[in-house]
Amino acid sequence: MKNNPFSRFSLLGVIFSLLGALLLLQLFRIQTSAATNKVMQENDLKNTVIDLPIETKRGDITDRWGNLLAGSKTVYEIGIDLRNMVKKESVASALATITGADYNETLSRINYGLDNNLTYVRLTDFIDLTKEAEIIKVQKSFQADGSNVLSGLMATPHLQRTYPENTLASNILGFYSYLDTEAGHGYFGIEEKYNEYLAGAKQIYRYARDPYQIQSLPQDTSGADLVLTIDREMQAAMERLADKALKDTKSQTATIIVADPNTGEILAMATTPHFNPNEYWTYGTTFPDSLAFNRAIGATYEPGSVFKVLTMAAALDSGAVTPETTFNDTGSIVIGGIRIYNWDRAAYGLQTMTGCLQNSLNVCLTWVGEQLGTTRFYDYLKAFGIGHRTNIDLEGEANWPLSLPGDPNWYTVNLGTNSFGQGLAVTPIQMIQAITAVANGQGKMMATHLLKAMVDKGHQYDNPPQVVGNPITAQTAKTETEMLATSLEKEASSALVPGYRVAGKTGTGEIPGPNGYVSGVTNASFVGWGPVDDPRFLIYIWLEKPATSIWGSVVAAPIFSEAFQTLATLSNLPPDAARLQLYGK
Amino acid sequence: MNAKIMQAYKQAPWRVQLQHLFYIVLAIVMILVVAALYLNISAQAATAGLDFQGYEWQRQDLERQIANNIAILGQITSEENMVARAKALGYTPIAMDKAVYVVVPGYTGRQPAIFAPAPSSDMLADPIIKPSYTQSLWEWLFQGVLIWTNGAGGTAQ
Repeated sequence: MKNNPFSRFSLLGVIFSLLGALLLLQLFRIQTSAATNKVMQENDLKNTVIDLPIETKRGDITDRWGNLLAGSKTVYEIGIDLRNMVKKESVASALATITGADYNETLSRINYGLDNNLTYVRLTDFIDLTKEAEIIKVQKSFQADGSNVLSGLMATPHLQRTYPENTLASNILGFYSYLDTEAGHGYFGIEEKYNEYLAGAKQIYRYARDPYQIQSLPQDTSGADLVLTIDREMQAAMERLADKALKDTKSQTATIIVADPNTGEILAMATTPHFNPNEYWTYGTTFPDSLAFNRAIGATYEPGSVFKVLTMAAALDSGAVTPETTFNDTGSIVIGGIRIYNWDRAAYGLQTMTGCLQNSLNVCLTWVGEQLGTTRFYDYLKAFGIGHRTNIDLEGEANWPLSLPGDPNWYTVNLGTNSFGQGLAVTPIQMIQAITAVANGQGKMMATHLLKAMVDKGHQYDNPPQVVGNPITAQTAKTETEMLATSLEKEASSALVPGYRVAGKTGTGEIPGPNGYVSGVTNASFVGWGPVDDPRFLIYIWLEKPATSIWGSVVAAPIFSEAFQTLATLSNLPPDAARLQLYGK
Repeated sequence: MNAKIMQAYKQAPWRVQLQHLFYIVLAIVMILVVAALYLNISAQAATAGLDFQGYEWQRQDLERQIANNIAILGQITSEENMVARAKALGYTPIAMDKAVYVVVPGYTGRQPAIFAPAPSSDMLADPIIKPSYTQSLWEWLFQGVLIWTNGAGGTAQ
């Protein structure tokens, strides 16, 4: 036999080698293909990591002193591990007895789980600690007796939004829809405005099953805590006062706002109706027919004579008038072809500007508006922010655009009616923000706000006061404050506060209807501040359609006096004489 | 002559064997030391990893308890409850004309709540774990050698 390099054995060797090489090639191809990689990665993830949802705590809300207004409490979800369940009827019966859960509903939930091969079924939720403890106790007592009929019953804790003060400040806070465990959201007020900050970031933390792999702790993504400017005691007192005023004057709604004119901080904001945000599902019955949730910011109205504070401020600041400027009031004035009358249709004769404010003369203020001139008058109103939202940090602020010369709905008579607060609409918060410029005696219009500080990840971020404009000079502010204080004193107004010198203005605004102003119904208001030499409180009162009297001077002014006295007591503010004696200012 | 010199320096066979034995034992001891070290560190890492998982659950539980206690405290000290307690203790709201005001030297009045310090420049963005806790022993050795060689060569960056 000759040596043949291509013998049959060699050929077989080559073939098998090739087959082997092909096999290796195929193995390599499978190992490195994109599809394989994907499957491998998924399996790797399944087998090597665990996804742990981290419960994110919603931020707390407190008043300026740290009193809790909105927090979180522990509640329990009750569920059943179907793999360990022994007797479903016993489970349903125990839950019905302890928690009041519907027996048939529980049974149908369990049956649904069994039919769909689920391992766990949620039976009920938001069970408080007492009932949860009772469930565990019953379960253990069964176990002690050698029975396992409640086996598989589980209680899983989680947090639920709670408002420990119940109705207090509810119109400011809004509410959180905690029953929606997947997509709960803040509605109205602070809860909605700061929802993004309060909610924090939902986090699913992925950690390795392999304990050798040490990882950093998941970041704290809990929501930020908010410190509000309001004072809980003042808020409670003003709410009680608003409720009392509502009852006493038989008004439809009552609103009281208290602000610090130097900073724009809202110290109290009481408005009716209010409700308990712990039972937020009653919202529809408390606020029917799209009634504003917070009328201090969410409802506009024609304010009437309280608006004269702004008209007079503009006239004084521009030099159109001085406090001593006189006007001979004949009881009516014609502007734009329309005759304007005083509130009582009387003629008051020769009056200084202080007298015009004291007697709240529409005719005089119309004349003042004319002296100012259209351009300057509306420039000042714009500088005071009328016709624009204040952008207060509450959800649901309303605005009524101001009709300006050149607009189709503006007529010459508007200059007259606007000067005494008719023919335009404002929210109480717009009025209070505008009047901070007068009340603080500096001419600085302060941004009204409710957020004092935010606490996030161990640090407190303060929200400093902001000046949003300087519509008038400090001298004008002081002059008008003096005029308004004097006018209250001369009038012997029921708004006066014993021991404290205050300034203020009443307002009685007519209410427009489809066929002109409705007779017999008004909006009664009062705006006042004090002490005059060191202003601490700026108070705005609005009573909607009071029935006992239509006049602001009768129904709203006494409320101001009572409110101021209460605030002075709560803040340990000595009467003027004592203050001057103690502090020299 | 050369053969004689070679002869003079040759080790005794038992010495050579002893030397070999020494090297082998040294290598085994070194391997054992490294293995023991590795095992020890791995055990510590595993314990820390398991502890971490437990602490995370514990942390969540504690945070929930704290939140719940704050809520309970808020309820107990709510305005309504405090007014009721004050009334029960015989307190009544003061009449303005009966209030007496005195200056207390050094008392600056009630101060607004401060829950946390103001932000400062020493804030840490993220929790930091030292690399030595996450590197394997070989990574640590390799990294160390790399740094040492770079440093020795003057090329470290």
